[in-house]
Amino acid sequence: MAAPRTEEEFREHVQAGGLVETADWMPDDYRAKLTKFIEMHGNSELMGVLPEREWILRAPTLQRKLALTAKVQDEVGHAQLIYRVVEDLGKPRERCLEDLVSGKTKFHNVFHYPTKTWGDVGVIAWLIDAAAIISQKALLKCSYAPYARIMKKICWEESFHILHGRDVVLAMVTGTDEQRGLVQEAIDRWWGPLMTFHGNQTPFDEDPMIEWRIKSQANEDARQRFLDGYVPQIWELGLTVPDPELGKDEETGVWQYSEPDWDELRHVVTGNGPRTAERLELRRISREETAWVRDVVLAEAA
Amino acid sequence: MSAQAPSRTDLLLAIADDELVLGWRNSEWTGIAPFLEEDVAFSSIAQGEIGHARAFYELAATELGTTADALAFDRRPDEYRCAPLVELRFVPDWARTIARHYLYETADAIRIAGVKESEWDELAGLAAKVEREEVYHLMHAQMWADRLAASTDGRRHFDEAVTELWPYALGLLEGEERERLAETVGREPVDAVERGAHTDELVPLWDEMTMVRRSAPGAEW
Repeated sequence: MAAPRTEEEFREHVQAGGLVETADWMPDDYRAKLTKFIEMHGNSELMGVLPEREWILRAPTLQRKLALTAKVQDEVGHAQLIYRVVEDLGKPRERCLEDLVSGKTKFHNVFHYPTKTWGDVGVIAWLIDAAAIISQKALLKCSYAPYARIMKKICWEESFHILHGRDVVLAMVTGTDEQRGLVQEAIDRWWGPLMTFHGNQTPFDEDPMIEWRIKSQANEDARQRFLDGYVPQIWELGLTVPDPELGKDEETGVWQYSEPDWDELRHVVTGNGPRTAERLELRRISREETAWVRDVVLAEAA
Repeated sequence: MSAQAPSRTDLLLAIADDELVLGWRNSEWTGIAPFLEEDVAFSSIAQGEIGHARAFYELAATELGTTADALAFDRRPDEYRCAPLVELRFVPDWARTIARHYLYETADAIRIAGVKESEWDELAGLAAKVEREEVYHLMHAQMWADRLAASTDGRRHFDEAVTELWPYALGLLEGEERERLAETVGREPVDAVERGAHTDELVPLWDEMTMVRRSAPGAEW
């Protein structure tokens, strides 16, 4: 088939499973939505470093310190890869970082919340990364081929994070009552953000990202997959989920749950989360303090 | 325990504590380095250092009848044998971070070359393994030293930082190894900031490093 030349041909091409490469012609709307989507993913990987980084310093054994450092290093590596894809779409990394610290662009809801104990470290690596891998695995089928390709490496690494998280959680739930308590409290804290993680229940055919096959999994499908994969594991460890409505309808196979707090999701991702300002400020200050290094190095390179 | 045992574990603990504390300091850059590439590099170097610390602690632990984690986390701050250089907190100052990185890796290469000649076979073998990995840390440090030195502004930041940290760097080494460091770096020896006393930075670092572990003493994590 000839390369698509009109918006209509392009839509047909991607909806039929066709792939798009960097140098291919693409409609402006596709490029804009794609760039915004991928940039937010890059921002999220980068901001996702901040809730965990302080716990590298507090990790209670040498092994945990090594594993957590490696995990956080992976996240920065993902941000680097993803921003490169954005760069090829026309937006340089420095501008992505500027827009991130100025609050112009967004990042994922879960990275706006505080991490209070070592229990959060386990629950984030286990459950947040599990939720993330469900979204990311679906992106392996993204119409934009360069993005789909890097997702392979990202998914592979995230699957190790889940194992690390599960191991941290297991050590604690089989430990002292206090340790077990830390895990339960962390689940209680993170459950709300986890339930809104995959986004609202926009119907499949109304999601603008689906039209261009940037995404190919509906938000609710992702959430159902998460619940199906992880709620039984949580229960198996003798832990509870803070939602009395939660349960699987055995006939339909669909998980029922209390309505998540969508207002909180909107409030948080528009820059009003409990740690949004503090984390962006940390990033802004560190960018400011190290600006001279970039000036020196980039002037040499020029 | 033989009469020599304390000194040989003292040496081991000095190296292990240096690597642990510097690894800890370097991991403070995770997430906020001047380039994403440096974020990744410093995380990697921090893992290398903490991995080396663990190997040295393990060897010391067999000698002392304890565990690597107990040595790394369960001593009091005044029992640590790290040099003041590694204790200093520099984030977000990149010039001093790179100056320390360069001075430490240069000194460490001299120290490890010496340890490799040890008559204690396990220690000599470990030093050889560590040396193979530390080569990359030194290359990274040297690359940054050269890069900063290549511009007027960068050179000024870097030279000031090296001058400030030079007495601390000498404190990493003993005896004639100090002269070798002075030759390598191209500076005159001065009075060293000696190992033994600690800076005010160690206690806050120790508080943070051990806080989770102290919250449930004896628990498995």
